Formats: sequence, C-alpha cells, structure tokens
Amino acid sequence: MNSSSFSRRGLLIGSSALVASSILSTRVLSAAPPASTVTPELIAAAKKEGKVVWYTSIDLKVSEEIAKAFETKYPGVKVQVERTGAERILQRIGQEYSSNIHAVDVVNSSDASHLVYWKDKGWLEPYVPEDVAKFYPPEHKDPDGTYASFRVFLCIIAYNTSLVKKEEAPKSFADLLLPHWKGKIVKAHPGYSGTILTATYQVSRDLGWGYYEKLAQQDVLQVQSAAVPPKKLALGERAVQADGVEYLILKEKESGQPVEPVYATEGTPLIIGPNGLFKAAPNPNAARLFQSYCFTPECQQVNIDIGGLRSAHPQAKDKPGRVPLGKIKLMKDDAAAVLKNGEAIKAHYVKLFHV
Amino acid sequence: MASVELRSLTKYYGDNAVVDNVSLTVTHGHLVCLLGPSGCGKTTTLRLIAGFVEPSGGEIRVGDKVISSPAYALPPERRNMSMIFQSYALWPHMTVAENIVYGLKLRKIDRNAIAKKLDAILATTRLSPLASRYPGELSGGQQQRVALARALIVEPETLLLDEPLSNLDANLREEMRFEVRRLHDAYRYTTVYVTHDQVEALTTADLIAVMNAGKIEQAGSPEDIYNRPRSEFVARFIGSSNVVKRKALDSARIEFAGQPLRCVGEPMMAGQTIAISIRPHDIGISTGKPSHNENAIPATVIRQVFLGDRRDYIVEANDGTQLRVVTAADEGIPHGSAVWLHLPPECCRALAD
Amino acid sequence: MTALAATAPVAKRRIGFDPSMPVLLLFAAVLCVLIVLPLAWLTVYAFTDKAGTFTLANFRRLMVDAAYFDPLLTTFMLATLSAIICCTVAAPMGWLVARTDMPMRRIVRVLVTASFVTPPFLGAIAWELLAAPNSGLLNQLYRDLSGQTGGAHILNIYSFPGLVFVISCYTFPYVFVLVANALDRMPGDLEDASNILGAGSWATARRITIPLALPALLAGALVAFLQAMTLFGSPAILAMPAGFHTMTTKIWSLFQFPPQPELAAAASLPLLILTVILLRAERMVLGHRGYAVVGAKNSEPRIVRLGGFKWLALALTMLVLMCPVFLPYFALLNATFSKLASHIVTVNNFTLRNINFVFLELSATELAIKNTVILGILAATIGTAVAVVVGHITARQAIAGHRALGFLATAPVAIPGIVLGVGLFFSYTRPPFVLYGTLWILLIAFVTLAMPAAYQQLQSAFRAVHPELEDASRILGATRLRALWQITAPLLRTSVIATWCFIFVSVIRELSAAIMLFTSQTKVMSVLIYDLNESGDLAAIAVLGLTMLVITFVIVAVANSLPAFGARRAA
Repeated sequence: MNSSSFSRRGLLIGSSALVASSILSTRVLSAAPPASTVTPELIAAAKKEGKVVWYTSIDLKVSEEIAKAFETKYPGVKVQVERTGAERILQRIGQEYSSNIHAVDVVNSSDASHLVYWKDKGWLEPYVPEDVAKFYPPEHKDPDGTYASFRVFLCIIAYNTSLVKKEEAPKSFADLLLPHWKGKIVKAHPGYSGTILTATYQVSRDLGWGYYEKLAQQDVLQVQSAAVPPKKLALGERAVQADGVEYLILKEKESGQPVEPVYATEGTPLIIGPNGLFKAAPNPNAARLFQSYCFTPECQQVNIDIGGLRSAHPQAKDKPGRVPLGKIKLMKDDAAAVLKNGEAIKAHYVKLFHV
Repeated sequence: MASVELRSLTKYYGDNAVVDNVSLTVTHGHLVCLLGPSGCGKTTTLRLIAGFVEPSGGEIRVGDKVISSPAYALPPERRNMSMIFQSYALWPHMTVAENIVYGLKLRKIDRNAIAKKLDAILATTRLSPLASRYPGELSGGQQQRVALARALIVEPETLLLDEPLSNLDANLREEMRFEVRRLHDAYRYTTVYVTHDQVEALTTADLIAVMNAGKIEQAGSPEDIYNRPRSEFVARFIGSSNVVKRKALDSARIEFAGQPLRCVGEPMMAGQTIAISIRPHDIGISTGKPSHNENAIPATVIRQVFLGDRRDYIVEANDGTQLRVVTAADEGIPHGSAVWLHLPPECCRALAD
Repeated sequence: MTALAATAPVAKRRIGFDPSMPVLLLFAAVLCVLIVLPLAWLTVYAFTDKAGTFTLANFRRLMVDAAYFDPLLTTFMLATLSAIICCTVAAPMGWLVARTDMPMRRIVRVLVTASFVTPPFLGAIAWELLAAPNSGLLNQLYRDLSGQTGGAHILNIYSFPGLVFVISCYTFPYVFVLVANALDRMPGDLEDASNILGAGSWATARRITIPLALPALLAGALVAFLQAMTLFGSPAILAMPAGFHTMTTKIWSLFQFPPQPELAAAASLPLLILTVILLRAERMVLGHRGYAVVGAKNSEPRIVRLGGFKWLALALTMLVLMCPVFLPYFALLNATFSKLASHIVTVNNFTLRNINFVFLELSATELAIKNTVILGILAATIGTAVAVVVGHITARQAIAGHRALGFLATAPVAIPGIVLGVGLFFSYTRPPFVLYGTLWILLIAFVTLAMPAAYQQLQSAFRAVHPELEDASRILGATRLRALWQITAPLLRTSVIATWCFIFVSVIRELSAAIMLFTSQTKVMSVLIYDLNESGDLAAIAVLGLTMLVITFVIVAVANSLPAFGARRAA
C-alpha cells in the first residue's frame, strides 16, 4: 500500500494549491468544459453498462430513494448505493485507488474538502451537466467543472418533544453547556462524518475550542454518523442532539415523530455536499447520466420533498412548513480551511472526547 | 457380617427383562460367582446389589434389612460394600496411595491408623515401592492390585468384583485367580464375583450361579455344576460336552445308535425326546470290546490329534452321530480304526429343557 | 536353476507416476504461504519506519502514549473478566446437562449451539435495542414497572460492564462445549468407585468429577479469554459510544485516514505474543498430570438425581439462556416488524416496511448475500479439503516435517482476526499478489482463520481410523492419495460434514478480518451490518441479522440430513 498517498505532505501541497487557485477564482478563466446534455446515445450507452456505483454519505434511506427516482426515470440502469461516512469514503477510495481498484463511478460527500482533494489528485472528471451550467450560482460549482453542490443542508441542534418541553428547549450552543443537560446529549464524530467535521470547524472557529472542552464534560453519547443523532432522538434514547443532519429531523417531524429542530442563536453550520464523477469510473456513461440527473429540478425536488435536504437549484421549491434557508442565521462554510485543518481538528477532538 | 439375599429380583430396561426373577442367597463369608456369557444379566445383578441400579421388582436384603426394592434403594455410599470394577476405575489425578486411602479418609479415621492400614495392605498386595506413582505409570497387573487394595482396605461387609481379571494377559490371570481366592480366605468377606470365564469361576467360587438371559439356570458348588449339569446350556458352558438328543425308552434309558443307553439325572418319560450330556474325558475308548456290555457303543475313529498331555478324538457311531473323546496321551488309535466306546451311566446326564 | 512357477503371471501393476508426494508437498507449501506471509509482512511493518529502516520507535509509542496503552489494559481486563464469567456460568451448566436428570437437557444443548452460531456483533446490536439507557426495551419495562420516569434505568449497555456482559454471552458456549464433552466422556465407574467407598454425590463431585474436568475447564477459560481479547465487532459497537477503545478497535482506527500502518502492525504484535504465551502455558499446565483415563471399556456415567432441585436448575439455566438467545432474538424480531425499534410490536405499529426496504430497496443487500454465501461455500469446501489432507499427513506422518505442518495448521489460532486482516492487507495489496479488491483475499482470510479448528476436528477423527485400513488398500496397489480418497475419507464422512458446516458458520459471522479487506464489490453481510450500525439503521440490521441466522440454520440442517452426505440412518 502506498501510504504516501495519504501523507500530510500530500494534503498540504493540495491545500496550498487550492489557496492559490481560490485567489485566482474570480478570474473568469474557466477551464470547465461546455455543458453536456443528456442525449439518447448517452442513455443507450448507460443502459448497456447497466449500473452506476455511487459512494455517498447521505442517509441510507434517502440515498436509496434518490436511486429509486433515477431508476424509475431510466429503467435498465441500476444504482448501487455504497453508503458510509464521508471520512470513511475518503479512506476507502484512497485505499482502493492505491491498489489500482477503480470501483466508484460517482461520489457524494458531506465533506466538501474531499472533492477538492480528489480534484487535485487528478482523479475527477470534468463534466458539467446542463442544469449546473445554466442555473447553479458560481459558489456552488467548481470552476473547472469537476463537482457541484448536489445538496445543501444544515447541522443542527434538535430535541425530542415528548422528553423536553418547548420552553425548556435549548436555543443556542451555549445552552447545551448548562448542567441539567448532562447525560442527555447525543452527538456524532468528526472522524467519521464529513458533516460533523465541517460543523466542528465552523463552530470551533466561531465559538472557540472552549465550547468543545466544556461539551466533553457533559457525558455525551458518542455516535459515528451525523445521521444517527436524529434516529436516537426519535427512539427517545437521548433528549437533545448537539449536532446531526437537519434533513432527517425534518423528515421525522413530518412523519409524526416527536422531534423539533433548533436553529442556534449563534448561527447554524452550513454543509455543502457536492457530487463528483471519477475519470477511471468503471461505468462512465451511466455515471454521466446519473450526474446529469442529479442536478435536474426533478431530482433536487426529490431531495427536498423526500430527503428533507435543501437545494442550490433556484427552480427547486422549498417545502412549506420548513423554515426557509434565507431566514436562518448561518455560519460560513470554507472548504479550503477544512482541507487544511481537518487532521488537526480530528486529533483535537479525539483528545477531548477520548474516542 | 450378614448374608446377602436376592429375592425375585427383576430389572426391566424397556420391555426387556435384563434380570428376570433372580433369587439367590450368598451365605456370609462365602464367595459366590455369577457366571455367564455377555448379556446374561450378571453385571446388572451386581450393580443392583451395589445400588447403582434400582430394581423393577423383588428385593435385596443384607441380613434382615431390605436395601433395595422398587420403592426404596439405599444409596451405594451407605451399603458398606466395596467394588472392583472391570476397568479398575483408578483415579488418574491421585497417586496409588491416595487412591487406596480414599475410602478410609471418608470414614474420618485418624491419620496414624490410616498410615498403618496403608502399609499393611501395600505389603499384602506387594505395592509398597509404587505408592507414590500415578495409575497411568503402572502395568495392568499393578493397576489391578491397586484396585484390590483400595477395595479391601475399608474392610467392607460385602465385596463385589466385576470381571476383575478380564483385562490381564493369560499368565497374570492365572496367577491372580489364586491370589483372589487366597485373599478371600484370609479376610473372609462375603464376596460376589462376576465373570464369563468358567476357569475363574471353578477356581475361586464356593458357589457358582450360572446365568443365561437374565435367569439363573443352575446354582451349586463347582463339582455340582460340572459333574451334574441340569440343562444343556450349563452343560455346554462349563467344560466341554457332547450333547445328543434322543428318544427315551423308559425312565432311565435312551436309545442311542441302535442300543439302549442308561442315564442318570433328570427323570425321563418313555417316548420323550431328551438331551443327554456326556463329557469327552468321561468316555472310555478301546480297540477291544469292553468287559461289561452296558453303555458300550461301537464306533469308528474319524480324527485323532496329539496335544502333548492328551489325545483328542472325533469318533462316529454307526448312526452317524459324532462324539468327541479325550484320553491320556497313550498310543493313539489311528484314523479309520474300529473302536468301542464306554459311556459310564453316572456320566450320562439327562438334562432339563 | 529352479523352474519358473507353472501358473500364469498376474498382470503387472502399472507403475506410473505417483502423484501423492507432490500433491502433499503442494498442500504443505500452500499452507506455509497462507500463514507465514501475512505474519512476515506484519513483522516488517512493525519494526520499520516509513523510510524502511529498522526501528523500535513504533513500540515505544505504544508503551508511552496513553492513547495506545489504555486500550491494551482495557482489553486485558475485558478478557479476564469475560473468561471468569464464562467459566462460572458454563461449568455448572455443563454439569447439569451432562450429568443430572434436569429436564430438557437436549433443548439446552441446542440453545447453547444457537448462541454459538449467533455472531457476537449481532448480539451486541440486539442488546443495544434491549439495554440502551433510555430507549432500551428492558429499561422501558423497568420504568413501567417501577413507575419512574425520565432517564431512570437499571441497565446501560454502553459501558464497560455492558461490553463484558455481551462478550460473555457469546463466548460461554466455548467453555460449555468443552466441559460438557469432558463430562460426557468421563467414565462413569470413576464416580461409582467413589460412591461405593462411601462418598455421597457432593463429595464425589468435589474430589473426583471436578478435578478431572478441570483441564477442560482451563482450556475453555483460555479459549474464552482469547476470543474476548480478539473480538472486534462488539467493542466497536458498544465501546465507542461509551467512550473507550479496546486494542482491536484501536488497531482499526489506526487504519482510518490518515492511516498509520506501522503503528497498527506494532499494536498487533502484543496481541499475537500474548496469545502464543497463553497457549504454551496451557500446554505446560496440562502436560504432566496424566489426566488421560487408564484402563479399558469406559462406562456410561450415572445420572445424578436432583429431586426437587431439577426445576430450580432448569429455571436458572433458562434464565442464563435468555441473555444470548431469547431476549436478543426477540429484540431483533421486534425491530424487524415494528415501525420504531424502541416500541414493542402491536397491531397498530406492525409493519413489513423494513423487510421490504432491505430486500427490495437497499441496493447493497443482494450483492452482500451473494458474496457471503459464495465465500461461505468456497471457504468451507477448500478449508475442509486442506484440513483433510493436512490431517492425513500429520496423522499418518506421511512426509518429513509433518510436525511442522501440524503446527502451522494450528498456528492461526494465535492470530486475532483483525491482526490477520492487517497482515493480509499488507501482503496482498502489493505485487506480485495483488488480491485486494477481489473475493480471493477474503477467501484466504476465512480459510486461514477457520483452519485450526477444522484441522483439530479432523485430526482426532483420523486417529480413530486405524491406519491399517489404508495400508490394506495400498498393498493392493492404490496410491496414498487414492487410499485417502476411497477408504479413509468416506469413513470420516460425519467429521467431514461437521467440519464443513463449522467453517461455513464461522465465515458468516466473521467481521474482524473482513472489515479490513473488503471493498464495495466484495462486501459481505457482516460488514454491511456493521456499516448499517454506524448509520443507525437498526431495523435494517435486524432484518439482515435474522436473514443471516436463517441461512446458517438452513445450510447446517440440510447438510446434516442429506443421506448422500451421511445422515444417520434410523437405528
């Protein structure tokens, strides 16, 4: 195994290149290829390949629903969903590529910095679906066309309404540090989940590491995936989640489970989940078809309606009953910084929380 | 010490009567042998006496006390009996000495007394140099003596032996047969000895009970069993025997090879088909006609073998019946010769069915 | 010169090339490569740094850094406590089943087998459903019964005691089987001899039965210790939420991004060495004492009458069996059919949606089941074949160095699953054998891990077949291999079937090596379940877990009842 693929040196080189390119990003020297449309030849070629392998960190049921929507539109092309945490996806793709195994076609990660990393290694294929070219704002797509924001969502605090009364519910991160929440909190791990890594970066930047030091004393139930705290809340295992994906909370609330989102007064971490296509994809045509589908208003609406996610596509309509994105105070995202500090953040976290 | 009495003892396994209505009295101080082929129920009877098995019917008494009955059975540890098992059952994790004193330790006898008794029995069984060895290091004969010592040291009322010599080789077996009898005479326990080997039974027993298919076929002294077998089974099982089936002419004679043959034993009725047993070395064989006519049968020598200390003949009477005859190792009568057989009446035993 | 024999000569036996020797040597070579290669790479990685120079720095870090030393200590305590609990529970149960008239003894044996077959990680997840402090079904029951509210609970599975408990649940069958077998085989007249000399049941048990069963108990304790020490699934599921690592989860975490394989290798070696030491110690303790029974013709042991106590004994036994079998299986069934895993199934919240999801929507299911079954069958068949040949070589001492071969065949017992996974990863992700990404690397791992037990089972079966049976065949002209195939193997039929089933079952429940070596195309069911646990999809786990159990039971039942495979004919 070529461990130098993962050396810190490699990451630093990648990130400094990114810093350089971000300075230059305002230049309209776009290296992106022209927009690609879905042609009948593409569909036929995709059907011949028969399947597309999608590594994703979106919650399993939501991933499978998106897959089903695609399969319904394009019968004959199956989607093989490989779901695991974003940080694990990075490790698995790295492990596979360094042994010359090319199993993945399309990847979606809640850690946007990974897409940058893979792009730097030259593994991503520049491919710009029509919708991305026409509708997506520049901050939601790669200037070189290798990835775009498939989903947008938040990492939120939430609580179980049968265990906690509305008046007593926490309203901010600071509230979580109050003594009466000790032993009642569940949270996920930045070593596994890209969502949590990104959120930890934003929160530690805006509130300082002191917040996490105090949170570590609160006897939290430590889980891996950011998709787990909402489930633990619904089960009634803990009363409050310190972090976790908003989309599952919204889905559960809308299906009658006793959970309620909280948008912290200090701001809520914003998570971008881009989709990228691999050069060495084993099913390149099916991959392109899938990637194109992902950014259509149809698919984005599926994301919103069924997935509880939010979208960067201006034509996608927010579901009534949810707080619109514009009304929520957000923390700023910064993929480059996550790429640069990711390891340090994880190490610091492990030291504080002991796992 | 009291005698052991079995009264109509029965044991069923499923529908099978493994011990079928067995009655026997073991006079105290005597050595009784339960003799029979495998499957005859002798070991089960022994285990019933030991208390490892409970009877389906009948009872077992020691003296006046009932120790086994279908309703109640005294557990083995309270019967004050000792047993030597066919496999010796020596405990592999204890030394020879520890094996032997196990029973004494349970009786809470003080240490000095135990040591004395141990030394005595080790001397008697010639095991003194082996006292601190483990059973796995001993030979078959040595293990057997350890089992003996362990059983005798507790001075039981009753001693039970389950085929104790069957795992030894022939020479050792012969030596140990006498040893068992010698020890019995020295200590005078009431002993029940189970074996399938008739020579062991004949050597050691005061009383032999021949068992077959769960029943006692005949019980008696060794001479009794040997010389006066009452059934075909006993006749064949003990010693070798010629058994012929013929019609009885009257209450004391049967028809044999065209002649009347006088017999003793079970009463006969004219016309009844009855089995007669006559042992090979009781038959006289000669080339000349014997002086007395009675029970003299002409025959031809079919086969003759010289066995060192005796000669073994197969002769054929004129009705085709073949008999085996054993004589001293004198001059052999050659194959094909005509001979006269003499069958002494007291040796021709009429057998019960 | 004497005249030649007048009779016509018998047709000369064709002396062709006897393939026996080369084939045997080939098997031996394969075995060597299988086992020595990963260990060699492991050692290389442990003792070198990134530049490739020899160093002890990796070990130094292990000893000095609390992040590495603490898990070592935790693992040791975990294994010791588990072993003690297993012995305390399994020994009396073994005695009750083998020696007393407690009712339903056969059922108890079957249930213990069921707990043996259940993968420990599945049991851990099931116990999450039962004993999570707030949502656990048992804690809910407690709150209902005691009227307490809020976070009151009596059981917290996310804790060190919780982990010890779950591991003990699925390790005690090892001790039980060893003790029960030893008691089954103990000749009854050893105890009879004690009885007749005046010792009652209890004195006999104390002085005779227990000391003689002690070697089996010791061996069982050792196996339990080793199993507890090398488990990956249960600690990964329960320890992380509780906030601590064990050695296996630590090694696993060293392969997360960025991977530190040298440290992982260095952390693996202490586990390996500890295992080897314990195995040697066991052999030394049992060596002298001569616990083999002397004398011939072993008799059936006598049943101890428990009298009224037998119902109490049965109740206690069933209470014990609730922990590995009844409660977890109930929890899994409940989660399968309930809309929400923390709610008991009622008419209102009964649903088939979970089953529907797993089999019709979850795209990884079909591939995972297919991979698992294929690997199970392949590993069982190849493993049994290798074990038969190697067992034959050592039992008949067919080639020089057969003793070394026997040692190699049992060596993997000293290699924890995750350590082997690491070693195999190092060996087969580099030329010339790049097997990573294929099912082959998983196959190698599974066969290697199952080899020791398979080999031992077959070796004792071989010993029971007299060599003269083969010799008779060879003197008539059969080669050694042919004699093996035509004479010995059919006689070993039941053992061969048993071994096949054993390997199959162990493949299905294997996680610690699989987690290191799988890729998305070669995922197996155990890994899928592990992934689903990380994303908290408990209902899907329950469905898959029950499917795993069904597949296992079906295959074992079928293999044992096909007449072609030597089903026992009615006596």
